Amino acid sequence: MSRLRGLHFEPLWWSLFSAGGVCFAVFVPAVALVFGVLVPLGVIEVSFVELVGWYQGIWGLIFTGAVLCLPAFHAAHRIRHGLHDLKLGGGSTSAFICYGVAAVFSFTALWAWFTF
Amino acid sequence: MSYKTSLSGSWWRKHRFFKLYMLREATVLPLAFLLCSLLAGVFSLQDAERFAQWQSFMGNPLIVAVHLIALLASLYHAFTFFQLFPRVMPIRLGDKTLPAQWLVAAQWLAVVVIIAIVLWVVSGGEP
Amino acid sequence: MNVQTRAIEVTRYSPERDKEPYLQRYDVPFDESTSILDALNYIKEHIDATLSYRWSCRMAICGSCGVMVNGIPKLGCKDFLRLYDHTPETPIRIEPLAHFSVERDLIVNMDEFLTHLEAVKPYIIGDNVDTASLPAEASLQSPAQLSRYQQFANCINCGLCYAACPQFGLNPEFVGPGAIALAHRYNLDSRDHGKTERMPLLNSKNGVWSCTFVGFCSDVCPKGVDPAAAVNQGKVDSAKSMLIQLFKGSQLQGEHQ
Repeated sequence: MSRLRGLHFEPLWWSLFSAGGVCFAVFVPAVALVFGVLVPLGVIEVSFVELVGWYQGIWGLIFTGAVLCLPAFHAAHRIRHGLHDLKLGGGSTSAFICYGVAAVFSFTALWAWFTF
Repeated sequence: MSYKTSLSGSWWRKHRFFKLYMLREATVLPLAFLLCSLLAGVFSLQDAERFAQWQSFMGNPLIVAVHLIALLASLYHAFTFFQLFPRVMPIRLGDKTLPAQWLVAAQWLAVVVIIAIVLWVVSGGEP
Repeated sequence: MNVQTRAIEVTRYSPERDKEPYLQRYDVPFDESTSILDALNYIKEHIDATLSYRWSCRMAICGSCGVMVNGIPKLGCKDFLRLYDHTPETPIRIEPLAHFSVERDLIVNMDEFLTHLEAVKPYIIGDNVDTASLPAEASLQSPAQLSRYQQFANCINCGLCYAACPQFGLNPEFVGPGAIALAHRYNLDSRDHGKTERMPLLNSKNGVWSCTFVGFCSDVCPKGVDPAAAVNQGKVDSAKSMLIQLFKGSQLQGEHQ
């Protein structure tokens, strides 16, 4: 069992956090601008049929991974460490809840794409 | 006996530097909301009627305001993250380290290119 | 001659006499060149000989005169009265370094940092070779090899980064910015073979993983070491080390070009 001695999940969470941080910085601004602001304000029109077309293909999977799953783990990591910073938790219970919610969210998003 | 105080949960209010740190950490709160809206959007693609419902939800002024905050949060996060990246993963070419400003500029360029591509695609271009 | 004076509040604490520290006010003459340390020396020589604080070199290399000035960790010798607001109503507040136990007045227990420093083995660890018997060329280093760690070698162990680090404040078991920067410095040294000995502590939750990249440690460092960068480069190293351990069953070996 010596190969497991001293190991913990922190590097895994940090890797997901970092990858999610890149996605949050590079992809989320475009998505928030277009789908969160410009389309709802009527500046840009999107058609249901076109969106379905894009979502069905590889773009939908890229969107799921880069805009939904990885940023979810990024958010989970920061919330968990934020709880520690504010002395409101941050231990294993917080970790279980934060990463657990991110995992369920990611699984749901992936399931939505694979069963579309 | 030596004297020691323990840090209270409000330590971050003492300096501007720590407040900006907490602001950086808090950028994930509007992000979390945006992610939930987007996941709902993905499910609404299953039929046109549900998509119309999702669109009217997204058009609610309060929701637009939260998503606008998420947009600003993502830009502030990008501003901080792009500066940290060259420090965590300095790129070395031979004996020299690539100047940090180049990496920061390259990352902002990526943001602008992605926005341009998404705008181009949704306004009728082919992906 | 018209001498300008400046109001200064200094933390006083005597473990035999006081239940908790309090602030004492002094008025100190100053000019353009008066440092915080000069002000403390003036108080000690002319006003109150009972004031205790550490100092030695007066030139930002011994690292012993670290204090909080208006809540920010500073070297007393490298910070000047002229940089602060010139009204007598707002005294400059000089306090002992945050996050450490106070022994007396401005003197803190630096062991709380030094035990972490000692634990990361901040010295070159040879390959079980008697270095004295080696030819001089064995320890030659190219400028490129030197440039990999040089920035992190400028640390003077002043502890300002610990006083700046809220994660150390929240968890005193955190190895902390200065010690991790020095561990990283030796891990990056082409002459060193001690990385496998340092990684288990850095890999632990109290090692690099307690850091959230607040970054204030690098902001206050008087020598431009950028400990936050070292700690976070250490996370990349630690992640690699733990992956290698998981798949190969052994610790990461030192990797040098």
